[in-house]
Amino acid sequence: MRNMTRRMGFCAAGALALALGTSAMAADVEERTLTIKDHAFSPAEVRVKAHTKTKLIVTNQDAAAEEFESPSLNREKMIRPGQSATILLPPLKPGRYEFYGEFHPETARGAVIAE
Amino acid sequence: MLGTFVITWRETIEAALIVGILLTYLDKIGQSSQFRLVFWGVAWAVVAAAAFAGLSTYAAAFFQDTGQEIFAAAILGLATVVLTHMVVWMHHNAREIKGGLQHKAKLAIAKRQLWALAVLAFVGVFREGVETVLFLWGLFLQGGAGQSVGLAVTGGFLGVGVGVLMTWAFFKGFGHLDLKPFFRVSGVILIFMAAGMLATGFGHLIAAGLVPGIVEPLWDTSWLLRERSFVGSLAAGIFGYRSHPSLVEAGSYLLYFPVVFGVLEIQRRRHAA
Repeated sequence: MRNMTRRMGFCAAGALALALGTSAMAADVEERTLTIKDHAFSPAEVRVKAHTKTKLIVTNQDAAAEEFESPSLNREKMIRPGQSATILLPPLKPGRYEFYGEFHPETARGAVIAE
Repeated sequence: MLGTFVITWRETIEAALIVGILLTYLDKIGQSSQFRLVFWGVAWAVVAAAAFAGLSTYAAAFFQDTGQEIFAAAILGLATVVLTHMVVWMHHNAREIKGGLQHKAKLAIAKRQLWALAVLAFVGVFREGVETVLFLWGLFLQGGAGQSVGLAVTGGFLGVGVGVLMTWAFFKGFGHLDLKPFFRVSGVILIFMAAGMLATGFGHLIAAGLVPGIVEPLWDTSWLLRERSFVGSLAAGIFGYRSHPSLVEAGSYLLYFPVVFGVLEIQRRRHAA
């Protein structure tokens, strides 16, 4: 009996920790969405909070694949046609971080602005 | 047309460099009969890259999350291990051929090495192949734009062709080096490539949020060399250059060198004893 209460106690503690954990995570990560259409990003400028992790969700509405690429953010990710991809950004110092689509660099350009 | 040419040309050069080193190496050690293993690796990689690029359209859930990064990191991890194995093996052979007197010393190749050759050719081509296939396929799908699509696709295939020809020409010249300098130069290239693959693998794990980057970025060398420049894109593709690396990426890159030299030193001592 005591064993079982203890086990239940553990479960409750675990659930609490999980709940706290997820809520803490939700608070620490900001989400932004981006769309690729006709080989261009919209919005072309994404404003994010400085010093905060950001989850960038990029949806590719074109029939062709695109590769999100940003040397200054140190991220690159292939986004298949009709699909979305999540790009995790580290906490950034205030500033402008350019990104582009490697497959269509003339039209697909944009920037993350951390402020 | 020029844009698509440059992209496929670059991807091809990156893949063909490994294949070129393998073929030239086999030729140098009098094992050109094993060329077919390398070609098998290449052929399988092309098929696998096409299949993977095609199938991935149906595995959306896997790719939109962190599956893409984990998969890439696994491929790069495998590539690092096989490349290191290759470097150690080549180094061992280089010492067997004393003084570089024999131009075509016939060296015995164990089954394990043959596998490593095929796997390395496979990984080298597959890694660039998936991207190239998706890119070319995307060009095909951009119908409606008319003639420019045809030109773009032609540019893409020309890029692959010219990339292969250029690498071939490069190794025609490079292959005339004497054994010793050839071993030394290709060994150095492979070690830098392996370090780049290891660090890029870590980069994918960091991007997936599975490994902390710790300091992101550690430094910014874009004033010196940008990835978007011609030289920068080659340096990034071949040697894993990043202008804004995280601490973990730069650290794994730099730490790879003492590790591989340590392994070579252990091997040297074992044979000296």
